[in-house]
Amino acid sequence: MGNGHRRRSWPALLFMAALFMAALCGCTNNPYSEADDQRKILYKSYREAPRTLDPAVAYTTGAHAITGEVYETLLEYHYLKRPYVLIPGLAAALPEAREVDADWTLYRFELRKGLLYQDDPCFALDGVSRETREVVTGDIAFQLMRLADPGVNSPVAEPFGNIRGFSEFAERLSEARDADAEFGALPIREQYAAVGPMQGVRVQGRYGLEVEVSNTYPQILYWFAMPFTAPVPWEAVAYYDGEGGRPRFADHPVGTGPYRVTEYEKHSRIILEANPNWYGVLHPEWRAPGAIYPESGAPGDLEAGRLDEAVVGRALPFIERIEFRREKESIPYFNKFLQGYYDAAGIIKESFDKVIHEGGLSEDMRATGISLEKSVEPSVFYVGFNMDDEVVGAAGGESTRKLRQAMSLVIDTDEYSRLFSNGRGVPAQSPLPPGLFGYDPDYRNPFRQVDLELARELVAEAGYPGGIDPATGTPLRLTFDTSDTSAQGRLRFEFFTRAWRQLGIDVVIEATNYNQFQEKVRNGAYQIFMWGWFADYPDPENFLFLLWSEMARSKSGGPNTANFSNPRYDELYLSVKARPNDSIRLAEIEEMRGILEYERPWIELTHSEAYSLFHGWLAYVKPFGMSFPMTKYRDLDVELRARRRAEWNRPILWPLYVILALGVVVVVPGILTFMRERQ
Amino acid sequence: MLAYLIRRLVYGVGVVFGVLFFLFVLFFTVTSPDDVARKALGERVPPAVIEQWKVNHGYDLPLFPGPGAWQENMLFEHYRRMLTFDFGRSDADDTPIIERIRSGMVPSLTLTLPLFALSLLTAIPLALLVAFFRETYIDRLGVVISVLAMSVSILLYIIGAQYLVGRLLHWFPISGFDSDPQLIVRFLALPLLVGVLAGIGGDVRFYRTVFLEESNTDYVRTARAKGCGEGRIMARHVFRNSLIPLLTRVILAIPFLFMGSLLLESFFGIPGLGAITVDAIQGNDFSVLRTMVYIGSLLFVFGQILTDLSYGLVDPRVRLE
Repeated sequence: MGNGHRRRSWPALLFMAALFMAALCGCTNNPYSEADDQRKILYKSYREAPRTLDPAVAYTTGAHAITGEVYETLLEYHYLKRPYVLIPGLAAALPEAREVDADWTLYRFELRKGLLYQDDPCFALDGVSRETREVVTGDIAFQLMRLADPGVNSPVAEPFGNIRGFSEFAERLSEARDADAEFGALPIREQYAAVGPMQGVRVQGRYGLEVEVSNTYPQILYWFAMPFTAPVPWEAVAYYDGEGGRPRFADHPVGTGPYRVTEYEKHSRIILEANPNWYGVLHPEWRAPGAIYPESGAPGDLEAGRLDEAVVGRALPFIERIEFRREKESIPYFNKFLQGYYDAAGIIKESFDKVIHEGGLSEDMRATGISLEKSVEPSVFYVGFNMDDEVVGAAGGESTRKLRQAMSLVIDTDEYSRLFSNGRGVPAQSPLPPGLFGYDPDYRNPFRQVDLELARELVAEAGYPGGIDPATGTPLRLTFDTSDTSAQGRLRFEFFTRAWRQLGIDVVIEATNYNQFQEKVRNGAYQIFMWGWFADYPDPENFLFLLWSEMARSKSGGPNTANFSNPRYDELYLSVKARPNDSIRLAEIEEMRGILEYERPWIELTHSEAYSLFHGWLAYVKPFGMSFPMTKYRDLDVELRARRRAEWNRPILWPLYVILALGVVVVVPGILTFMRERQ
Repeated sequence: MLAYLIRRLVYGVGVVFGVLFFLFVLFFTVTSPDDVARKALGERVPPAVIEQWKVNHGYDLPLFPGPGAWQENMLFEHYRRMLTFDFGRSDADDTPIIERIRSGMVPSLTLTLPLFALSLLTAIPLALLVAFFRETYIDRLGVVISVLAMSVSILLYIIGAQYLVGRLLHWFPISGFDSDPQLIVRFLALPLLVGVLAGIGGDVRFYRTVFLEESNTDYVRTARAKGCGEGRIMARHVFRNSLIPLLTRVILAIPFLFMGSLLLESFFGIPGLGAITVDAIQGNDFSVLRTMVYIGSLLFVFGQILTDLSYGLVDPRVRLE
């Protein structure tokens, strides 16, 4: 009986093992459906779910990766040209500028006729049975009002305050809401209509728009190339209110762009499909600059294959679908890129040495057809001093200035970059990054070259010989305030404190949680901090305003966290802000740079440098630097991708056989022996 | 039995009320609603917008009851909302929390139910096997492997499996999730493998101890003396009489299947309740975090009661009074 039982169980065991092996033989690590292999789907990843896709509010790179595809603006950037050049987008042409008087300039935009929104149920809201409607300039005026609306809480309301009547509109709206609670319950469009339009925004018929802007802010045009000013249908804002099972407008974008969101599971995946209502698809005969691949570019584009005859002048977009998959952990994300399941990736620090060799792509990576694109981002990272502080700030005059100069002299940016960003980043000599008007590659800030001897002399001249504070007889004690409590953050800050210790100064790291840190900043209770800035638009004004006294954190809650205030700097800033790029502007920028060099409210660290990897099948790639996705200009060779994926991902099954064999070798003799003994 | 059940329910309500009070103190008095609003909206927000945000989220009331207004305060609102499952909206992105829980529950159960079943189906037979071959090298090898498996952090299993099985051997996707039935098996294979491997050491050790303890009892010796086969003894007698300690472990785990797995979901990109909890921790989304802790406490109490009841069902000697 016992033997018979054994005879029956062995074939069953073998059968199960065979079944398991068969299942494994059919296994694959492909995270996508095989049916999509031959489709032009671009696979991208994101780490944090976007908080909002409302174009008036969304201000993160992750959110712009979506809103930049879905919403279009009157103007946009040329894909290839550098320095950056604006081209007409939804506008038929670049706007005409006409000076109204000494204070105001009028920009007149002409919208293209026949532009449609993506299909959406919201357009049936006013009783008309339809899935879309034509875009009119009233939609852009509506969006400008939304930017002013305090209830929308747009993070970019401040620069739009340069539009005539913008702030007054916001005030009227607030007053009406405060005065009458019922007014606040009316539909938004009715509220806006009730308080009247902005004085400086005039809708001329269906397609004309006049915007009156302060003469001192010609940079406003750049904002008309950002999703903040995209036409937004009032129907979408009214319909998507988060009630009755409908999502909020912040989770349901309705735009005019080349792509539309078709699936929005923001915590796992976001899918965009080509928008059949896009003007480039409906009206290829327009040959609109934003709807065809550019015919000219920057030096190097031709050699890089970005101006191939095959692509120049072709109608956009080339890619039919964009799939964003959430990847919270960097290692799985990068491994999937190496397997060919993401088309592009940044370089994670864990793999940097494997991928990059002597500043270029390693031999292994090149052999797989991966290419590396480096681009210096329009950004600046810096250590700042609170100029309102008595010990390190402006109040101490010559003495505290020398202290700041000395502290600036001992920070070795090259070493900092090597330790904390794998050598990526251009050492910053001033706030202005490369590629912007006013950036001088030959300029060397004397206080940004490491000189320990000079620094020690300056510390002594500042009244702290050997770093000793004569008031206490102990090393001068300062605090470095931060909300970064991570171990990596601590190492980063210790880099600075160690450098300053060479001067005998004792800088204590005060790492608190975010709320406590913000409380300190609000109360001005900080001495040294670290911050960074990414440009909204490629103009020096967007960096120089970070030290304009009107933007001081203590005064207006603005981004001038150093609370730097210098009348001459302010005067020059206002002139630079209003001037075109000419020799006078350049001279003024240089003078401002000189003031910062001497006063040292900041210790400039780096302009960040992005290293991006692209698989060989992703064509016509040019990193853009700013957060504009530009997917419509890119193309995919899906044949090559499918081939490479198959080559790189063949399942290796022999370890399974080894494990099974080992199991049999170890266990079976034991079972047999045991059974024999029992019998 | 009924009296026992009522008594346990009353205890459970006490525990839940205590947890709610602890949550209130932690989330409303340690961090002020203004700070939470600034975290969600940004630093440079006009005070009026912060006030409106607080009204929208129900954070505009006084913390504790005042004279004559015992309902108009956040403590009362906190209890009312939680007890009526009106969880409100996420502090971070304003989405209704109940929707997030609903959307997260399916991926969580998709992972945890098969993981639970597979863990039981591998650990119990293996434990029976090593108990069956007790004091042979198979038993000793099994114990050594179990102890080794218990000693390794689950993070190492995750990273190792993603690298070895996903990256090098190309058997399964490294991470991800899809509701498409054709893809879901592919995505779940690796987290299931890791989940089973990470838990199997402890489970086998525990079940083996239970089975061995039971196999040394008098009735087993009697059965053996009567000529009953060893396999039959293990399956019919030892296993069935070991059910009480097994149930303690198993039934207590069932309610938590709904909560998902924090680490597995997070590392394998499964958008379940575990991943939502991790997101809430990382993003200071206190309203979601509060809700998840509250649901966890409810499930714990429920699991405790369920375990007690199951004793009576599997063992007629146990009387719940």
